[in-house]
Amino acid sequence: MNKKAYYGEYGGQFVSESLMNTLDEIDRAFEEAIRDPEFIRQYHYYLKQYVGRETPLYFAERLSEKYGTKIYLKREDLNHTGAHKINNVLGQILLAKRMGKKKIIAETGAGQHGVATATGAALFNMECTVYMGKEDVKRQALNVMRMEMLGAKVVPVESGSNTLKDATNEAIRTWAKTAEDTFYIIGSAVGPYPYPKMVKEFQAVISREAKKQHMEAEGKLPDTVIACVGGGSNSIGMFADFIDEPGVELIGAEAAGKGIETKEHAASMAKGHPGILHGMKSYLLQDEDGNVQLAHSISAGLDYPGVGPEHAYLHDTGRAKYVPVTDVEAMDALMELTQTEGIIPAIESAHAVACALKKAKEMTPGQSMIICISGRGDKDVNTISDYLSGKGYLN
Amino acid sequence: MENRIEACLRELKQKNEKAFITYITAGLPDMDKTAQIIKAQESTDIIELGIPFSDPIADGPVIQQASYEAILAGSSLQKGFELMKRLRSEGVKKPIVFMLYYNTVVGCGLEKFVTECRESGVDGLIIPDLPLEEQEEIKEALKGDDTTILIELVSPVSKDRIPEILKDARGFVYCVSSMGVTGQDGSFHREVINYLTDVKKQSKIPVMMGFGIKTADDVRPMKDIIDGAIVGSHFIKLMRASGFDPKEAKRYSDEFKTELNSL
Repeated sequence: MNKKAYYGEYGGQFVSESLMNTLDEIDRAFEEAIRDPEFIRQYHYYLKQYVGRETPLYFAERLSEKYGTKIYLKREDLNHTGAHKINNVLGQILLAKRMGKKKIIAETGAGQHGVATATGAALFNMECTVYMGKEDVKRQALNVMRMEMLGAKVVPVESGSNTLKDATNEAIRTWAKTAEDTFYIIGSAVGPYPYPKMVKEFQAVISREAKKQHMEAEGKLPDTVIACVGGGSNSIGMFADFIDEPGVELIGAEAAGKGIETKEHAASMAKGHPGILHGMKSYLLQDEDGNVQLAHSISAGLDYPGVGPEHAYLHDTGRAKYVPVTDVEAMDALMELTQTEGIIPAIESAHAVACALKKAKEMTPGQSMIICISGRGDKDVNTISDYLSGKGYLN
Repeated sequence: MENRIEACLRELKQKNEKAFITYITAGLPDMDKTAQIIKAQESTDIIELGIPFSDPIADGPVIQQASYEAILAGSSLQKGFELMKRLRSEGVKKPIVFMLYYNTVVGCGLEKFVTECRESGVDGLIIPDLPLEEQEEIKEALKGDDTTILIELVSPVSKDRIPEILKDARGFVYCVSSMGVTGQDGSFHREVINYLTDVKKQSKIPVMMGFGIKTADDVRPMKDIIDGAIVGSHFIKLMRASGFDPKEAKRYSDEFKTELNSL
């Protein structure tokens, strides 16, 4: 067993033999790169000049007043391409270039990681193929168009549930065939080691900035930090610099879909069991035969039956708490944030907002929290409109 | 007692014969048919029985589809064990290897899984998403009883990993002919001959080649290196085209085995 590949009992490298040398090669290149000042300089250059970092830590005045506590929003929605995904893509694509790879592949759920990858590929002139579940291709037509405009080839994946899980399977299969010249950019904090570690490293910029910004604003650490969890990339980035600060409560909002008492949810921590998927051991929604169950969430980005291995570990050790949030709760929170602060969050991020507003009711005026607004809601306008008309919400 | 796979391969070596191995997904289209197809293949030396999984990342479209249909038809690990018991009680002595993904094992519980394998007569395990680094637990659970053994896989890019993989390998070593997934017709890795030669030189046990093989002629270029051939996706295609006719399974098996040994 490769001990460093594990977070407690989670993680590992459950891939075919064909990929083991590739993983080792990536691991060595990654460890070398993050110790190379020139690589780090380049990475930060693009984060600043291309992505537009740092992102604001915005004090949400009206929400704070309404809930009687200090609510800060970490504005990852203001990044170039509209979400936190670009932070990780630039890190991995610079690594791919450093390793001499010419082609990149990626999986995508909501399309945000696919758009970010296609963007990075255009920027660095690399050939890019994005695997996307057929169902998600329909739900996220605008993002498909953006990827194609950026020069990426979008492959609709028709197998299983036709969503992120299946797109990831297909990306892994392609990677196993082509690893000699192709780099696989995983967008979430999942996959075989060293991917969860890489994604955390490249998303940790979220919490590094937020910690500093909160200190400047409040002169202390926040009491609570909240982010949504699908595979768990924005949340691991939002938690990273706070994990060793025991005074900071960490909360992950997982998608409860139509409710965790139904079969239609994506709450792998609340309802899953440890299992193996996509090269890692972690919590997994599965049936009694060990087949992976279909996840459901109104948000394509959270529609995933597993979760990153470090989250499974943080859950078991009690360092972070994971709270299920339903479609309805998320959509209510989405409208509340939109109408109170003039910020339309992605439906994914709205799960964190819903969870946070519940938490805010327990907090005092002197306390403060940070909510990670992982992405903007522009891509979700069709889904939101369908949802609202179905419910007669705006009537 | 000697492991059934190892006994079979020892006998083949004495007869100077190459081994022929086929793969079929358990429960495609149903367990009765699977049993008939297994029993009909007199010339096949070892049967690889696929336990379907929802997310078979090492498989190409043919076996993916087969797994999907088998699951819909009610196939599962438990049904696989029942099939094994039935085959053994009906006198099938042929070595049978389970090909399955590690989540299916973990879902069953490792101890229970190993006990059921031994009791139902599963002779070997091929777990494509369990590389050497992750095998500690299952090797520990399999220790001390030769009934069920773990089969090791190597790939064209294994290179410096080969000695470590072969060190305690049992039964035969499964050489994947190309990178990637099962069932890529005729596209063996460009270095396939060098790679197979390398593995053969280092291996104390028979070397089998699988992935992308349709006819015995496909392995003619490596006939002096390998000790046998494995056919999966193509066999499933044939079975499907014949309406899962056991007679077709017998015909194909007889033909392949004869040709394989007269290359």
